Amino acid sequence: MKSQIRNTVVMLAAGAMLAGVSGCGKQQSAAAGAGRADAAANLAESLKVDLSGIKSQDGQPLLLALETKTPPPRPKDPDALPETDPGHWYDMEYAGWNTAKENIPASPKDGAIGKRVIAIINGDHPYLTAYSAGMKKVAEAYRMKLRILSPNWKVDVQNQMLDEAVNEKPDLIILIALDAKVAILQVRKVNQAGIPIILSNMHPDNEAMRYAICWTGPDDWGQFRMLAKVWADKLNRKGGVAYVRHAPGGSPFFARTFGPASELTAYAPDIKTLDMQAPGFEAAKTQQVVSDWIMRFGDKLVGICAADDSAQAIGIAEACKKAGRSDIVVVAAGNSKVGMDAVKAGEIHAITYQSAEADGAVALKAGADWFNGLTVEPVRYLPKHVITQTDVDTFQPAQW
Amino acid sequence: MTMHKERITSLLAALDRHRIYVLLALVFAIMPFVAHGFGTVNNLTTVLKSSCLNATVAIGFTLVLICGELDLTIGATLTLGAMLTIGLQPHLGRPGSFAVAVAAGALVGLCNGLIVTKARVNSFIATLGSMTILQGILYIYSHGSSVSVTGPADFRLADFLEKPLVPLLTPRVLITVALVAFAQGVLTWTRPGRNFFLVGGNRETAWFSGINPARYVVGAFVVSGAGAAVGGALFGLSMCSATPNLGASCLMDVIAATIVGGTAMTGGKGSVLRSALAVLTFTAMFNGFNALGFPSELKILIAGLVLALVVIHEAAAARRHEKARGRRPMLMEELRRKAPPQERES
Repeated sequence: MKSQIRNTVVMLAAGAMLAGVSGCGKQQSAAAGAGRADAAANLAESLKVDLSGIKSQDGQPLLLALETKTPPPRPKDPDALPETDPGHWYDMEYAGWNTAKENIPASPKDGAIGKRVIAIINGDHPYLTAYSAGMKKVAEAYRMKLRILSPNWKVDVQNQMLDEAVNEKPDLIILIALDAKVAILQVRKVNQAGIPIILSNMHPDNEAMRYAICWTGPDDWGQFRMLAKVWADKLNRKGGVAYVRHAPGGSPFFARTFGPASELTAYAPDIKTLDMQAPGFEAAKTQQVVSDWIMRFGDKLVGICAADDSAQAIGIAEACKKAGRSDIVVVAAGNSKVGMDAVKAGEIHAITYQSAEADGAVALKAGADWFNGLTVEPVRYLPKHVITQTDVDTFQPAQW
Repeated sequence: MTMHKERITSLLAALDRHRIYVLLALVFAIMPFVAHGFGTVNNLTTVLKSSCLNATVAIGFTLVLICGELDLTIGATLTLGAMLTIGLQPHLGRPGSFAVAVAAGALVGLCNGLIVTKARVNSFIATLGSMTILQGILYIYSHGSSVSVTGPADFRLADFLEKPLVPLLTPRVLITVALVAFAQGVLTWTRPGRNFFLVGGNRETAWFSGINPARYVVGAFVVSGAGAAVGGALFGLSMCSATPNLGASCLMDVIAATIVGGTAMTGGKGSVLRSALAVLTFTAMFNGFNALGFPSELKILIAGLVLALVVIHEAAAARRHEKARGRRPMLMEELRRKAPPQERES
């Protein structure tokens, strides 16, 4: 009896697998045989699409004027330079600018309208919800079929999703790589399958840029260099500071720590780094770390730079409040509702402006430009801005 | 009537025993019809490939659970395996770094086993501690960054590991299948293998039967450590890189799959094959959900519900089992509840 049931179940499983294998060929051929619009007409119509009137949740234009920069010459051996020297981070900061491209598919120049795009983001987070919303607005404007997948911060699941996306053979894949170095093989895999890929948000390793059309996203290094100057001015260019870091592995882990730290080496050499910690994105853990700093460094600690202006900022504010240290000058990456409210309340001196919706929108717009045969630069930066109490109202209501 | 009821009971019991086959069959029977592209050879290859990491880790984890212990270090050990294989490759070469990674994983398991058996620390506490230590070491080793190799030979090996040799089966899948088959074979057909169940079922009886339970528990931890390291090393080689938080999510996934696969949390019962099939079932299910466009929070909810149902069912079954054996630890409470109100008050 037992063995009969087991055998039946095993046979059912095997049968189901075989049925699935044979049944799917029809679905694929049906999809492949879907109607094709006249390329020239589609291109002409796509080029007419106007995105200038679309706004983000915060009332700002969805597609802000993009920024570009000219990379300085590369130091001979960046690794030999100290971490406080901006040159040490050259390959990370200017990833993709000078990379020789390999096997990049030529633009079909048949218009963006109706294209199938799969975007694989890195996880579930309010910022990424706003990012996805921005991307969807562009997809609607171009009537693209957009599917957004989230691996929920798991590298192995992101790999699986990339394989699934490659199997579906979409017209374009957009990827927020979970890890800069893992991105190399991920992007190469998509490239080898002949599918164009655009990287977004997180800076990948320079080698990964070889296989991608372009990278779009915030200029984290540039933003934090700007923020560092505003911070240093408030600190009268002296005192001890500490950094609450981003999650290890990704580019913000380095950019949001060594961006300001290396900038301050030249701009405010009397500002000394006391410590750097990565407590994750939990307010309680951040509060603990900051409380420890306050106890350990006492009055020497005059400033804190955080990689996140929501959970980390809450933890910092709580720790400072409990220790009666409202004099500590806090700056952070922004611009969440929590962060902007804290700027308004004077708990945070300055945050960076990083439009989450624009971040998503710019990635898909680069794809649309590529389908339309327009020039797509290897790197497209979101504009930089530092929000302080004087202009925080301009950016309300917050996107996330 | 009684005969009919008995038959249904026996059928339900058999279905429960083989629930993972039923779940697997359901997933593979339903998904091709509802999820576009699920049944394509390419997609099934993706499902099999994606199952490899957790399936390899589940081998040792199941063995530890069969012994009635818990190994929370699997995620960190997996990361260690990947980090050392990739990080040491420029210095030791590929075979050397792979060997060191697996040996390091086994060493982690040995330490865990000795702490549990010799120091008599609860395995949950012991491995929670070693997991934290290991994560700290990994961050120090990697400086919080990932490691990678980008030579043409590395890319060639990665391509080889990921591309099917025959339809559906990539080398990494074949290695995983071989490891699972070997472990299941040892557990089923060899005396030392069967002794793991005896140790997990009743340690005293095992001791009276001339078995040294501590040796088996330590052995299970060593296999768990080495297995996790092998899984991580193969994954690292197939990606030419390793991240310091690679195994962060693996622990919960493997625990869920092992329990759904029928391994008892109390020890003495389990199967490596069923754990691996449970990993495959979950992977296939999530793959189908992706094709259906389910958001990730819904996928987490469904996985949680499946796990919760199985755990509740297991708890109820254990209670029924205890009852059948005449053990009723809550007997007084039961009698008090059944008694009329006046008696209860008095």
